This record gives sequence, C-alpha cells and structure tokens, in this order.
Amino acid sequence: MWQYRELIRNLTVADLKNRYQNTSLGFFWSLLSPLLLALVLYFIFRHLFGSEQNFAINLMVGIMAWRFFATGTSASLGAIVGKPSLVTRVYIPRQILTLSNALANLISSLLEFIVLLPIIFVLLGHLPVTVLLFPLIHIIYFWFIFGAGLLLSSLYVYFRDLNQIWDVLVTLLFFCSPIVYPLSIIPAYLMSYYRLNPVTLFIGMYRDVMVAGDLPSLYSVLVVIGFAIAAYLMGSLVFSKLQRRFAEEM
Amino acid sequence: MSAIIVDNISKKFRIPHEKKTTVFQNIVGLIKRQFDYEEFWALKDVSFEVKKGEAFGIIGRNGSGKSTLLKILARVLYPDSGSVSLNGKVASFLELGVGFQPELTAKENVYIYSSILGLSRKQVDRIYDDIFDFAELKKFETMKLKNFSSGMYLRLAFSTAVHAVPDTFLIDEVFAVGDEAFQKKCSDKMSQFKAEGKTIVFVSHALNAVKELCQRSILLNEGRIVTMGDTEKVINDYLALLEGGTTQ
Repeated sequence: MWQYRELIRNLTVADLKNRYQNTSLGFFWSLLSPLLLALVLYFIFRHLFGSEQNFAINLMVGIMAWRFFATGTSASLGAIVGKPSLVTRVYIPRQILTLSNALANLISSLLEFIVLLPIIFVLLGHLPVTVLLFPLIHIIYFWFIFGAGLLLSSLYVYFRDLNQIWDVLVTLLFFCSPIVYPLSIIPAYLMSYYRLNPVTLFIGMYRDVMVAGDLPSLYSVLVVIGFAIAAYLMGSLVFSKLQRRFAEEM
Repeated sequence: MSAIIVDNISKKFRIPHEKKTTVFQNIVGLIKRQFDYEEFWALKDVSFEVKKGEAFGIIGRNGSGKSTLLKILARVLYPDSGSVSLNGKVASFLELGVGFQPELTAKENVYIYSSILGLSRKQVDRIYDDIFDFAELKKFETMKLKNFSSGMYLRLAFSTAVHAVPDTFLIDEVFAVGDEAFQKKCSDKMSQFKAEGKTIVFVSHALNAVKELCQRSILLNEGRIVTMGDTEKVINDYLALLEGGTTQ
C-alpha cells in the first residue's frame, strides 16, 4: 500500500474536488444541509427538550457525528463501482479505492467539526480543554467507518440496490441515535439494546469532550475500539474474498 | 531464475441465464430456486514458466483465452484453481492511459498515470523529461488532454508506461500506436528492454512481431495449451490450426 501513497493522495484530492464541485465555496455549500437540519430540528424540538442542558450544541455535535458515518458509508458504496477502469484495466490494490474515498470523507468531516468549534465557543462561552481528545475519537470512528466502507463497497459490486437499502438504514439509524432527543427518554429495559448502536457511543464521547468537558469513560473507549477493530477485520475479510471477481462483475 | 511461474491454472466464467444484480433479484431467485447459469472454461490446466529476461509470446484465435490469461497475469482476474507467481514489478499494458482525465493538462496526467503505476512523485520527477522527449510532446506539456489528438494521447500514455521501469511487461497489442516513425521507436524500445534483461510477455495477432521479439511462445486453443516451445514452430501450428478451422 505504501508504494501507492501518491495514488491514494491523488484519488483523495480528486474525490474532494468532485464533492465540492471544484469551487472553493463548495465546502460552504456542503455545510448548509447539516446546519439547516440542525436549525429545523432545534425549532421543532426545543419545546420538548429545550430544557436539556446545552440542547442546541449537543444537537449540532450529534448531527455532525451521525453525518460522518452516514455520508462516509453512503459514499463508500460507489468507491469501487465508480472507478471501473482502475478495477478492470490495471492492477492496483483495490482497498486503495475504498481507503481514498474514506479519507476524503474524513477530511470533509474534520472541516465540518472545525467550523463547529467557534460556534461551541460562542454558545458555551468557552471551549473545554478535553476537546484535545477529539482527534483520538475521530480516528477510532474513522477506522470503524472505513471497515464498514470495505464491506459496503465490495457488496455493492454484486448487489446494486444496496444503496436504496442503505439509505433506509441510515435514516433509521438517525432516529435510533440520541441526536434530537436525550438518552434519558429511552426506557430502562431497552437501554442495553439501545447501547449496542456504536454511533450512540461515539455521539456520547464527542459530547463528553467537546461540550461537557468530561473524559469519556474507559469502558466506552474500549467498546468503540472493539467495534472499530471488528468492523475493519470483517470488512477486510469480505472485501478480499469478493474482490477476486470484481473485474468480472463490473 | 523465473519471472513468471504459471502452475496449472483454470478460469471459469459464469454466464447466468438471467443476470441478478440486486438483493431483490437474488431473493426472488432463492425463492424460485433459480441458480441456473452456464459455466464456460476460458482457461483449463494452463502451466508454463517464463524465465527472467525472456520474451514470451502468446498466440491463438479470438476467444482462445489469450486475454483472460494476460488479465490473470496482470492480477486483474483471479484463477479459480492453480497459482501464478510473479517476481519483480509487473507493468501491464492491457489498456494505455488508464485514469487519464481530459480536463487536466498533459503534465498533471503524467503524474496521475504514474501514480496508478505505483510511482512516487519523486520518481516521476526523475523520468519526467524522458517521458516527454520520447513522446515528442514537450511543447504540449501544459495543454489540456481533451485537446490532444488520439495519436498524441496514446504516445503520451505509452511513453509514461514504458518509463515506469518495471521488470516485466505484459503487452496486449498496443503496438499500433502513432505513426510509422513512432511505431519504430516503440519496437526499438522493446528490443532495448529485451537487451537490458527485462521480461516481456507479448500477446498478438501480428505474427511477424511475435517472431521478431519472442524466442518461445505458446499456442492457446479453447483455453488449453496446444503447443509450447520455439516460436517458429508454434506459429506453424497456429497457421495449421487456422487452416483446419476454415476447411471444416
């Protein structure tokens, strides 16, 4: 893989340019959708949950964290299928295609979170020192998403309606994660199942370090690392099995 | 020392009666118990060895499995059984100019294409001038690729590919590049590589080119090796096969 670092860089840059339509304003256009979503949800739900501490900031952090997963996995579906000539005409380690797709997503997500920092500063009056732990959480989350991307991008070659199915699942995930509502509304007997959703854990950790100024619990850090390793191993395994017939299926 | 060892490989293609490309179709297929597809063996029990520094020809009629074999050597396809071992860096010329983007300049495209071939930026910097000199396109380095003629396009691609200095070349009839003079340059380049001890695997219908370049060859027919050995003899067998095929 290291030999192909130049290719990874080129593909990542091309992907980013494509996302932002080659304009420097493109990134700001892409920010409109999550900010608008946050605004709408804020006005709808503030009567219900507005009394929760830092409701507006937590809402935005939650949306950004969910978006990292949602756009990352959705974009990964096309990582292989969108580059047919690099699959059928030439040899490169094909994981590169999914990796550079995931890296482009990582960069846009980083930019989005960076935009969030001054907003948090203004609304909260200060920026918690624990925000320094943000890169650690983001890297673990990235590996989790990359693992899912390996799985999805290779399956999509064989099942071309997977994007429709995935759209539904991602929307479902939005409502199964504590983004617009606080964790406290989940009944106790459902809690252990509810917490199986890794995105819930990630959202909680982002809020800990970016808003509340708490250290995330060691338990949740270990669990998300476990999730990331499991997703990566499973994704790699499935990918390396399925990639053998990529050139025939495309 | 062998550059390529092909050990008893077979490749099967599935030709489904109805291609299923969605989850939905697969579920319907499962319920209706439709698994029917035809199997087509593109290659069957193929074994050979190419020594380092050797030029090796693969000939055969259309549909004999030549391209499938070359794609397996290029690691684009995988065999269903058997194994292939490759020593050293392999460059496949299945198609020239993979990843070329018309909206970018010739210079940018050279860097992109080289990165697909596995070169770092520094390595490209070193061969950059040679690439444009060989392609005779120095004047056009800042021109967008979409304004290139198809000949210029292929010259640039070919030149980039040959300067990426692999140990083994896999070539699928890409010699028809450019005008007479450039074609001569290309075949000179191939002879030069041969002299430098590079390994070449050459698939072609141009029997004269094969005869000139390759000492040893194989003849494929319906996925099996019919003859292996001296190129002259293999070509004679091929011509005999063609005769037989037409009189049937």
